[in-house]
Amino acid sequence: MSEILRTHDLRAGYGLIEVLHGVNINVDAGEIVVVLGANGAGKTTMMRAISGMIPRTGVVDFLADDIAHLSAHKVTARGIAHVPQGRGTFPELTVEENLRIGAHSRRDSFAADIDYWYGVFPRLQERRLQRAGSLSGGEQQMLAIARALMSRPKLLLCDEPSLGLAPLVTRELFEVLQRLNSETGLSVLLVEQNANLALEIASRVYLLETGEIVSSGTPDEYMNNDAVRKSYLGH
Amino acid sequence: MSRFFQYLFDGLSSGAIYSLLALCLVVVYRGTGYLNFAQGEMSMFCTFLVWKLNDWGMPLWLAAISGMLIGYLGGATVETTLIRPVAKRSQFAVFVVAIGLFLGLNSLAGAIWGAPPQETMPSLFPNEPDDFQRIFGASWRYQSIGILIVGLVVTGLLFALFNKTRFGLAMRAVASNADSARLVGVNTGRVLAASWGLAAAIGALAGTMVAGTTGEVVPGLMFSYFVYASAAATLGGFDSLGGAVIAGLTIGVVENMAAGYAPKWIGQEMRLGVALLIILGVLLIKPTGLFGEQKVSRV
Repeated sequence: MSEILRTHDLRAGYGLIEVLHGVNINVDAGEIVVVLGANGAGKTTMMRAISGMIPRTGVVDFLADDIAHLSAHKVTARGIAHVPQGRGTFPELTVEENLRIGAHSRRDSFAADIDYWYGVFPRLQERRLQRAGSLSGGEQQMLAIARALMSRPKLLLCDEPSLGLAPLVTRELFEVLQRLNSETGLSVLLVEQNANLALEIASRVYLLETGEIVSSGTPDEYMNNDAVRKSYLGH
Repeated sequence: MSRFFQYLFDGLSSGAIYSLLALCLVVVYRGTGYLNFAQGEMSMFCTFLVWKLNDWGMPLWLAAISGMLIGYLGGATVETTLIRPVAKRSQFAVFVVAIGLFLGLNSLAGAIWGAPPQETMPSLFPNEPDDFQRIFGASWRYQSIGILIVGLVVTGLLFALFNKTRFGLAMRAVASNADSARLVGVNTGRVLAASWGLAAAIGALAGTMVAGTTGEVVPGLMFSYFVYASAAATLGGFDSLGGAVIAGLTIGVVENMAAGYAPKWIGQEMRLGVALLIILGVLLIKPTGLFGEQKVSRV
């Protein structure tokens, strides 16, 4: 399969403290790649380093171009959409304005995309003129994902979408991600601490510990691995 | 009754200037979260440029537009070269830079054009002694009507910019959540520079109109207007365009009424005090200002 993202010796941190000590991962077109890691393992830092939110060194090849020197708004224009931890919606803007700003990097017409997302998430249509800040956690997460996909990205970065959501809502969310993946071929890089549901939709899995990738494999291998089960699956 | 209308109308006219300047403060505040202390001095400096261009023979309206363009570029440059580098460190650093800018521009204007110069400044609007209409027994000077109309038009344009354009949506997105704005592809640096530029341009227009009413340009031109404008922005809630406009007009009317109806114990000297008292009262009851928004968030 064709490769869409590859990082090589990706290093990043905050100030003088290095959090990522040379991460190598790759995502192929059409894959849902899940990165598991405990609190403080560097998952969010890795996502922010890929999308250009923080300074980083090393190689970030996206569609065979090195984008490690680009700032965040240019990375978005290349085709990577990042749903940050805590959703990152615009609370003061309405639902519809959130979707419209999601298409900021596009120059073509996007009215049909808004209708499409209202079709996928009817709740958002009901609340289209409400401020995003007044939505429930689950609705905000759906808005965050719809907004990210308004840019028609080739790769979606999802940072702990399950955080603060009821298990049922998380399941619903992951089903949507899986459906988008199988219907549109969207590639997804998902980091999660709460691994049960994530493993169900994963094509491949990486394990991130203290800023380094320590292992990789298929979801089945991880589900049957006792150490992983204790640390990340809670059973 | 004619006295009432006179005070009302004079109040609306000076209120329009407060509103314009308050809008500048709000535009910058929404983008960055800073009160630009140098806003008044930036306006004053641009007004000197307008006067100078006019002095060289450029028609005043063309000079005013040029002054606004120079203001735009100047404001954007100030943001990118002075504010942004220190903003990473702390809010206090921005405050100090703005104060420095305030003093610097003030002294620079004095140094270039002599202190205190009494440069005669024509008005953008007809301003002969008989240029007025009598309505409800009050004399409505064309100049004041002009200021009021310009104020309303600029406000309307700003509303359209913020609510109807792609760039305005990007500005509001940056104000709401700067990190997420970058993630959807907004060049936040450009938006912030444009906010400062826009504020400086509107400030240049306001300054030109103020100088037109007094007939002279001096380094202290905008002092009291800046105080009124920050009062209006505070009263309006600091992040609300409509709030700034309504508060600016209200303050203008109230201070004119107070000064007019109680000339003995308020008069011209104490009118600023009246405005500040109202603000104190409002903020004690409603800390977000009249139209300010509580940041909404649900987790």
